[in-house]
Amino acid sequence: MSRFSFLSSDRAVGLIFIAPFVVMALVFMVYPIAEAVRMAFFSYNPLRPDLITYVGLANFEFIFSDPLFWSSFTQGTIWTLLSILFQTVFGVGIALLLHRKLFGMAIFRGMLLFPYIVPTVVIALIWRWIFNPEIGVVNYGLLSIGLINEPIYWLSTPTMAMASTIMLNVWKYTPFVVICVLARLQAVPLELYDAAKVDGAGAFRRFIDVTLPQLREVLIVVIVFRTIWTFNKFEEIYLLTKGGPGTSTFNLAVYSFEQSMASLRLGVGAATGVVMMIMLMIGSIVYLRVAGFGTEEKST
Amino acid sequence: MTSKDKTSSRMLLDRRGFLGGAAAVGIGAKGLFGAGAASAQSTKTGTVRVWGEPGPYGGVGVAAMNEWAQKNAPGLKFEIESIPWDGVYVKLMTDLAARRPPSLISVESPIAMQMMAEGLLLPVDDMVDKIGRDRLVEGVKWEYWGNWKGKQYVIPAHHQPHMLLVRMDIVKELGLKDPDTWDWNDLLNAARTITQKKQNMAGFCMALGRNLCTDYHFAALLHAAGGRMFDASNKFEVAFDSPETVEALTFVKELQPYMPKGAVEYSFLQVVDAHVTGQTAMSFYWGRTLGRAAEEAKPIFEATEAFNHARNPKTNRRSNWNDFQGWCIPAQNNPYIEEVKQALLYQQTSKEWLIKYCHSLMPNVAPTYKDIANSEELKNHPFYKSKPKTVDTYFKSSLVNSSSTANELLQGVNPLAGYVHGRSILAQTVQKVVIDNQTPQQAAKWGARELETIRRENARLFG
Repeated sequence: MSRFSFLSSDRAVGLIFIAPFVVMALVFMVYPIAEAVRMAFFSYNPLRPDLITYVGLANFEFIFSDPLFWSSFTQGTIWTLLSILFQTVFGVGIALLLHRKLFGMAIFRGMLLFPYIVPTVVIALIWRWIFNPEIGVVNYGLLSIGLINEPIYWLSTPTMAMASTIMLNVWKYTPFVVICVLARLQAVPLELYDAAKVDGAGAFRRFIDVTLPQLREVLIVVIVFRTIWTFNKFEEIYLLTKGGPGTSTFNLAVYSFEQSMASLRLGVGAATGVVMMIMLMIGSIVYLRVAGFGTEEKST
Repeated sequence: MTSKDKTSSRMLLDRRGFLGGAAAVGIGAKGLFGAGAASAQSTKTGTVRVWGEPGPYGGVGVAAMNEWAQKNAPGLKFEIESIPWDGVYVKLMTDLAARRPPSLISVESPIAMQMMAEGLLLPVDDMVDKIGRDRLVEGVKWEYWGNWKGKQYVIPAHHQPHMLLVRMDIVKELGLKDPDTWDWNDLLNAARTITQKKQNMAGFCMALGRNLCTDYHFAALLHAAGGRMFDASNKFEVAFDSPETVEALTFVKELQPYMPKGAVEYSFLQVVDAHVTGQTAMSFYWGRTLGRAAEEAKPIFEATEAFNHARNPKTNRRSNWNDFQGWCIPAQNNPYIEEVKQALLYQQTSKEWLIKYCHSLMPNVAPTYKDIANSEELKNHPFYKSKPKTVDTYFKSSLVNSSSTANELLQGVNPLAGYVHGRSILAQTVQKVVIDNQTPQQAAKWGARELETIRRENARLFG
């Protein structure tokens, strides 16, 4: 009788509904992470599966003594910070522009999602053509209007290649920031603006004192997620520059891939992934603490 | 001349024309050779996966195998899976690691030799006996494709050297010497002269990106200077930190100002593009540049000729990097070994199919057997008729200058070359000089350290 009552209870229904997610998370998230952590302590060349050996911390010693790991970390950090900075600035700016009742705005908002919807592989290959120094549309446009006298080699120098990968990332993911910010803007009580106007606040003052505080929570979340996703990003860099020229656009994800696939050091690749995970966990916790995320709810 | 004839004439140099010519040859040649070893019918069913490079030749090889299957294994179908040149290493390693190899692989010798030494391939000496041990073209040996500890593991598919491609219209216009007589100084002077005198045109182009193409281009210069990565006669001790490596790197640095600025990220396709679109007057490349030019830029096709590389002034070597591409059979997790052997034997002993194979991408894939190389049917192709010297350079006269990272200076099989290319060590060494502005000496030391790591990690391969 009691078993029957449990099966028909809300709690049982909740467990049944959550079970598929739990199973999927175990199979596709928890197990791979656990396996990567385990692998980080082994030497494993996939061509010689019979020679898998426990090596303790040797893989971590390898990466921490590898100059390429540190330059990948530095470049990955630069790429992440600049990408997030521009995405946030442009995202908030565009969201403010779109937060108006104008004819056709819905269509425009829909079109804005285009870069976010198109698969990265398509975008990266198109951008390779766009950035082509000889036949790319960017150089053609700049030459046509006289802004430059000779083609820019967008992907051929370390600085320009880094700038190009950042541009691609900003172009693709700014719409995500716009959508999040726009949703929050639409929930800001208009009374706050009316009160600020009554107090004599101008547009800039209203933005600083009303809009930004209201966006604070959503921006904290967006920045945390975008930082994690960007720091881990592999395909955009690999497809656009393959980490080059030289290793000037390597980040830790590309480094991990190169160690695992090109060098067949799966243990080193896994150790890199573990280090990335720890870095991001620490960074996220520190950032959320410093930003005071969630403290408002607790204090009320 | 009927309108149909006129159309045929106009299409003489297009792809359809080549294939048509190849088909005609095939019909004419049919019956001259035996159709391979007789075998009992196989009752197996399914798809036999075959890996090959992009390009039609792998498909032609597989078409021959399907012809065998129709007669001897009606339940089987051979299917080609193309792997991009730059992706071949990763694709091979990941799929082999996942224990789902194809049943047959067409791959270049550095990777074949790595797999062979790792014990992943099936010995094929019994097949070599049936194909004919004395059948190879002059100047090559079976070991160039893949021989390890006395056993043959690879059946030749083709050889494929990169040459010096030169726009002869520019050479004549500027009064430069015959490229066949050039040494490195002449090549450098020609590149400089063209860059200075021809607007919007680079004098020379080679790949400088962090990729396989740069590895192969630089290897030719390294070997021409007499340098090498490993000493095969001395337990593969690293021999890269040498004056010869420094000389080759210095030469690349000297050439760089006369290359397209984007060359530091160029790989295979970009070098072809640079030549075919007229951005450069000279380039290092395999035969594909001529094929692309014939399809897309006929004046450039007509003006371009291939030469053995300029000789190194000290050693007089004109080394190319020759892709001794072969067929190899994975030994593990391969349910179709016997059928693959029979089908491959059928293709290898069919003059008709071997000529079709070469004709499918002229002059990119050169014949490996004397009877094919010397046959009149092979010459029955528009390229051979319009550029006989260039085609013969690729097919025959290049062989005396052949080298390979898998058999450096032809002094011994090197099973470590696949690892070197997988990590783009040579390309990274070049990039230390052309991007990071390190001295050639510093770059050579860096490269030597990386090679020593590879040697140490794989010491068990050579005991």
